[in-house]
This record gives sequence, structure tokens and C-alpha cells, in this order.
Amino acid sequence: MATLTDPSGIAGTVKPRIVRQYNFAQTMPALVLILVFFVLPVFALLLRSVLEPQPGFGNYAELLGSTTYLKIFLNTFVVSALVTAVSLAIGFPVAWALAIMPSRLSSVVFAILLLSMWTNLLTRTYAWMVLLQRTGVINKSLMGLGLIDEPLPLVNNLVGVTIGMTYIMLPFIILPLYGVIRRIDPAILQAAALCGATRWQALTRILIPLAAPGMVSGALMVFVMSLGYFVTPALLGGTANMMLAELIAQFVQSLVNWGMGGAAALVLLVVTLTLYALQLRLFGPARMGGR
Amino acid sequence: MLLNFERLGAWKWILLVITGLTAAFLILPILFIAALSFGSSQWLIFPPPSWTLQWYTAFFADPRWLEAAWTSFRIAVMVTVLSVLIGLVASFGLVRGRFIGKEALRALFLTPMILPVVVLAVALYAFFLRIGLNGTTTGFVIAHLVVALPFSILSITNALEGFEKSIEDAAVLCGAHPLEAKIRVTLPAISHGLFSAAIFSFLTSWDEVVLAIFMASPTLQTLPVKIWTTLRQDLTPVIAAASTLLVIVTIALMLLAALVRKGLKS
Amino acid sequence: MTEPFLQIRGLRKDYGIVTAVSDVNITVERGEFMTFLGPSGSGKSTTLYILAGFENPTAGDILLNGESLISTPSHKRNIGMVFQRYTLFPHLSVGENIAFPLKVRRWGKAAIDAKVKQMLGLVRLEGFEDRKPAQMSGGQQQRVALARALAYDPPVLLMDEPLSALDKKLREEIQHEIRRIHQETEVTILYVTHDQEEALRLSDRIAVFSKGVIDQIGTGPELYANPSNRFVASFIGDSDFVTCKIISMRDGRAALSIGSGPVIHGVPVHGKNVEGGMAALMLRPERLSLSRAAVGEGAFGLSAKVTDITFLGSNIHVAALAPSGETLSVRLPFGHEAAAGLSRGDTIFLGFDPESAHVFCG
Repeated sequence: MATLTDPSGIAGTVKPRIVRQYNFAQTMPALVLILVFFVLPVFALLLRSVLEPQPGFGNYAELLGSTTYLKIFLNTFVVSALVTAVSLAIGFPVAWALAIMPSRLSSVVFAILLLSMWTNLLTRTYAWMVLLQRTGVINKSLMGLGLIDEPLPLVNNLVGVTIGMTYIMLPFIILPLYGVIRRIDPAILQAAALCGATRWQALTRILIPLAAPGMVSGALMVFVMSLGYFVTPALLGGTANMMLAELIAQFVQSLVNWGMGGAAALVLLVVTLTLYALQLRLFGPARMGGR
Repeated sequence: MLLNFERLGAWKWILLVITGLTAAFLILPILFIAALSFGSSQWLIFPPPSWTLQWYTAFFADPRWLEAAWTSFRIAVMVTVLSVLIGLVASFGLVRGRFIGKEALRALFLTPMILPVVVLAVALYAFFLRIGLNGTTTGFVIAHLVVALPFSILSITNALEGFEKSIEDAAVLCGAHPLEAKIRVTLPAISHGLFSAAIFSFLTSWDEVVLAIFMASPTLQTLPVKIWTTLRQDLTPVIAAASTLLVIVTIALMLLAALVRKGLKS
Repeated sequence: MTEPFLQIRGLRKDYGIVTAVSDVNITVERGEFMTFLGPSGSGKSTTLYILAGFENPTAGDILLNGESLISTPSHKRNIGMVFQRYTLFPHLSVGENIAFPLKVRRWGKAAIDAKVKQMLGLVRLEGFEDRKPAQMSGGQQQRVALARALAYDPPVLLMDEPLSALDKKLREEIQHEIRRIHQETEVTILYVTHDQEEALRLSDRIAVFSKGVIDQIGTGPELYANPSNRFVASFIGDSDFVTCKIISMRDGRAALSIGSGPVIHGVPVHGKNVEGGMAALMLRPERLSLSRAAVGEGAFGLSAKVTDITFLGSNIHVAALAPSGETLSVRLPFGHEAAAGLSRGDTIFLGFDPESAHVFCG
């Protein structure tokens, strides 16, 4: 009660008069933009899923009742889960190393991470299309080493998609995990050692549990982003191995079936928002990004 | 011990090898494309039989590539300006305001970041079909603004929250009109936030593919759309040349950002 | 009759149902150093922020030279202020910071340069002109803030706990500087602090705030010697409180007794008449005398058991437990004979001059 009334006690509580309405008005341009060009179109699209071609849940019945579409859902989940698992398995040791490396070394790795993240998505996907093709460097090298006789089919299938997406998602798991490990007090691990823990015990019983919130939160983020990815699966997966985002695009662009497009969009949206809500629930607001 | 690099023993080397391989995994494809853009092989054979600038010549000789690049640039600049301006004003409201629903509003502003872009792309495409904005510069700018704005708002609210409001009050008490105080004191003090908002907004628009594919028309397309449509036909090395140019722009912007950050610190 | 320099009249500020300050009335003379002293939440800062124009009062008025300031926006009030937090403009050098208020007032370049030089001299930071705030210590930054606030010769300077972020030694050094600058510039200063020592060291007069109202205004010695209530007594200087029984009250003096002790006459009394009832007797630790034996009559009426003895350099602090269960502290100068050989558990007898004590009733 006492501190409530003393402006010197709380930062920024000192406000001149008319501020409230004025501050709200400041958010108006952004609000109008988001409402008109984000909220409204998305709702309109979702609405079409229950209105077209005729009102009802026919689109959802068709979407969830057909093995073709179920296979696409399955593809999407399997690839996303694989990408998440591989990213986490590689990302944890890298984030760990980055957190304790001499800064000369780590700054080089950071520069590479950032460059990779900010390189155009198409450029990166294109690189993998070239690398993974039948006559690409990877098949040629493997054949040159005598490990295989025939070129492996690495592109136009889910293997290619998984490799390409892992490549794109790695920075998104390394950077937040780095932050989490960085904040762990090294003294805690010294204490573990003094308590008699071996390195392996210290890793599995102290370091990993302490980093676990970061791992789960990073994994959720990568999983959610992977679910809605469009460009990389479209280019590396080929038409036979469609993922959900491509399905939505196809309904709208090739089939001009807005009802089914809206229904598929809603499925993606519900899964994404549910997982995001889970993440918020578990770890509070975190930054997410995706394209 | 596990968080002390020098005392990790053999584990240190395991970690270093994994990190080194990962770094190579991340950087090599980009270098590989850059190398191929100078290679003479139409079929992207590596190592290239000989070196050439012909793909760059082809890129610059084709008005469609140049036009696409110019379109991308134009749109990205407009998006950057609008995104920073709208983001700045909104951030003042979000940070300084005390109105009901403020946190919900902030969350709403950030949702375009977490929503799968393909959903927004399809939704906007349908909406723009109705109001005739598909294939227009305005349509492109609006679509990219929706996804760039969250980055602006994040960067600027962050900077503004770290800015001591009393400093602005001090300027006002010194005799500066509240608006003058904002322009002469607050804006310079949060310039790092404005700058990263600008960089993020520019790169978001410049690199954006999904929305652009839906917004584009045969007469109006951005560089990523041009790359996309070309890629669907074949893997021509001209794309390698275009990609390398894009990487150079990205590196230049990253260096600029690092330099400005350094300059602001000293 | 001349108009008082600065008048705060019936000031009140409500935040919804919470009243931050109510009925604040202060008159400040030109050139005076007035401190608002009180714990956090007592309304002292709110009053200062209303003066600065960052808050609008719910009721009341502020008159400077007889003219109301209320409707003047902050930037036209021509008031100087040094804030609790560091508020130098981070992107401007020290010189540019001091020049800022002059530039917005459209001074000429030569006049600005001369003034900046003069102000740097005033706060003894000659040669620091080109430094950036980040390259300076907290104490130096607050001196620059002071120079900036005084550069445009404001009639009134507000200071909102300007030293609270500094360590003790530096704080004392800058308190010294503030005193000197006050004397040199003769500016009227309104200073907010929760530190009684700082208030006593700096001020001509102190207004003691508590729970949104002013309890008492006076010079340091006045407040110390004649606190008007228990809060002021406990906030200015150290104090012991002992429950006593009021036997009679007349002309601002009371006769009282502590426990089963003798009657003590002539203790200054404040508050309503509670003859025959209980009240709080306030004693100053440094005005108590300590004796090992119950010698004499009257004066040494209070016995207590020593619970702790602390050596504090020039002073020795003795804590003792009265039979009533109240803890008393006694401060003796180092080397005082009564302290020699004193140890925990000893019984001591305390005495005081009735004139140095106060009784607060109700």
C-alpha cells in the first residue's frame, strides 16, 4: 500500500495527464493493420471451410476421412518430429560448446550461425537441391569412396526434406539453448563434482536437467515451425511427398477449393496454436519465428 | 567442471569436433553455391571444369532478373520505413500506456510471427482477390508489413523498456517541448532498437518467399519469386549467381549492423 | 507585505481510491534549502513531481512569486531538477548535456559556450566537456546533472533523492558539493530524501512527510529537540520509547511514572489529555545517563538489564532490557567511566533530564 503511492519507488509510474487515451491511440495504426490484413483475412478463410461448397463440416469429414490426406498429416508429423530430434541431438552439444568456448572461437561459430540464418531460404534450399541430386557432390563422393554403387535417392523424398529442414532449424535451437546453458552457474557443476559425481553423472543428473526447459522449449518451437513449412518441403520433397503447408497451397492455387484450403489451414492453425499455448504455459513468453 | 572448457578433458575434443562439423555443415552449402556460381558447368558439376563469369553476365543481361531485384528492393525499403514508423508509435503506446488489454494487444501484434506464413499467405491472397490488391506493389508491401511489424515492435519495445523515462522527463524540465524531447533525446537513445527494427524489417521483406509467391503476378515479382519460378523449371547456375548476390547483400547488412552496434557503444 | 517566494497550498493527489498526498501546505523562502523527508510512500516524491508538472494535483495550488504554476506545462515552468536515476542524455557529451537546455532556449553559441564553461567550473568538472556519460562515475554524472539543471538559472531546483544510487563515502562528498553550490548560487532547493542524516546535513528546514501528510516543518534542531509526534521523534535522530503512566498534565508538561518508579515532573508533552492513562515516553539514547548503582532520587528511576554492548568507534552502544520488556539503547562516548567493565547481564540504572524527553499521548 505504501509503495503504491510513491512514484520514486516504481519506475515509470509517473505519467502526465491525458496519457491513457493518447497512448492507446498510438497503437491504432498497428492495430488497424493487424485487424484488417491479418485477423480478418484469416477468419474469413477459416469461415469458408464451413461454408463452401455448402455449409457444414463436409470439408473436415473429407480431410480427416481420406487416407491420402491422412498420409500427408503423417508425413508432416514424422518429418517435423525427425527434424526436431536431430536438431536437438546436434544442437545441445553445440550450444554447450558455444557456452564455454573461448570467445575467439565461439564468435566465429556465431558468425556462421547468423549468416546461415539470414541467408535467403531459397538459396539454402537450392544448395541442398544441388548437393543432394543424383549427380550431386554427395552421391559422387560416396560412389568415389566405393561405399555405394548406385546413386542414393536423396532428393524428391522425405530424406531430402529432413536434411534440408534440419539445416534450416539448427540455428533456431542452438541460439536459445546457448542462452539457457550460459545462465547456469558453473559453481553448481563444481559442487556436483565435489559431491563425488562423475562427469557422466554430472551431465545426466545436473547439466541436462538444468538445460531441459530450454531443450523442451526450443524443441517445441522447431516442431511448430516445421509443421507449417512450405518452401523447403515443396522444393526438396517433390510432389509425391507432400506436407501440410503444400496441401493448403495446392487446394487454393491448383484446385481452387477454398473450403478444403480453409479446413486444412484450420487444422494447421489449431495444432500450431495449441503447441504454442503449451509452450507459453510451460515456459512463459518466448520468442518464436518462422516463415 | 562440465562448464569449464579447459577442464573438460577428452570431452572437450568431442564437443569441438561436433561443433566444427556443425559449423561446416552450416557454412559449406553456402560456399558451395558461391563457388558453383563461378563454375562453367551448366549441370553444376563440382569441382567445376573451369571458371567463368557467364552466369553473372546472364543475370545482369536479363531484364527480368534485374527488374525482380529492383522490385524486391523497392518493396523492402517501403516495408522498412512503414514498419519502423508504425512500430515506433505503437511501441510508445505499449510501453508507456496503462490501458486495459495492453498485454493482449502486444500478444496480438506478435502473432503474425508464430502463425504459419502459408496460412496468412492463402488468407491474404483470398482477401486481395476480392479487393484487387494481388499483383500490386501495395499488396506486397501490406503483406510483408504484417510479418515485418512484429520484429519492429519487439526490437523497439525492448529498447524503450530499457530506456529510463526520467531522461526524457529531464529533457522536458530543461525546457524542451515533449515532442522535441522525444526526438532529440529518446530517439537517439533507442537508436539501436530502431536500427535493428529496420534491419529485421528489411531482411524479412527482402527474403520473404511464401507471401510473395501468392502476391506475385507475371508482371510484378520479387527476386525470391523469380528464383522460385526458375527453380521449379531447372537448377540453372544463374540461380547460383543470384543467390551469391543475395548472400553478399546479407553479409553487407550484417556487417553494417555490427559496425553500427560498435559505433553506438563507443 | 511581500508575496512569499514559493507557496504550496492545500495540495492533494489521489490515484483512484489511494490518496498519495493530502493537505500539503508549505511556504518556501527565496534561497532556502528545504528538504522533504519521509519513508518511501510518504508522498514526498509525489509532491515534488507535482511541482515539476509531471503529475497534476487533485486539488490545491502552487504559487511561484504569487503566480500559479498548475496550468503551466513542465517544459515552460523553468524549473531545474536532478533525478534519482542517472538522467544524462547518453548520446550527448557532458558539454552538450549542459548546453541542451540553453539550446532549446535558442541561446547564441558564444553565450552557451561561456555558460557551459561556467557550470563545469561550478561543479568542478573542468576538462570533462567531451566525455560521454558512460565514461563517468555515478557521482560525476550526478554533478553534471546538477550543472545541467542549473545552467538556465532556474529559480527553483528540485532534487529527488539524487544520491541514493551512490555509496556512502561518495554520498557525503557530494552532499558537501551540494551545500557549497547552494551557497554559491543561492538557488532555492527542494530536496527529497529518506535519509535523515542527509536531510540534517543539507537543509535549512525540513518537512517531515508521513502517510501523505506533513507531520512537522522546522529546522533540524527544532525537529530534534521538539518533535511534534512520535513519528517525527523516531525519524529524526535515534530514540527509545518507554511506556509510562501520566499522572498529571498542565501547560504542556507532564508528571509521569515508569513502572513502579518515582514520579518524574516537567516532561514536555504532546497530544491529547490522557491524565491517569498510559503514554509513550521518548528518550534520546545519547541523552541518557547510565549508572551502575541506584544512587540518588528521581533521576535514576529506571532499571534495566544489559543485553548487548557494541563498540562503534567514537561511541559505545549499550542495549538493555527494561522490566516492562521494552528494549532501550544508551549511547556513551568511548572511554566513558560508566562503560568500564560493563558486561552482559549487569543491572544498570538509567537517568535523563526531563527537558530532553518527550511524552506522546494518543
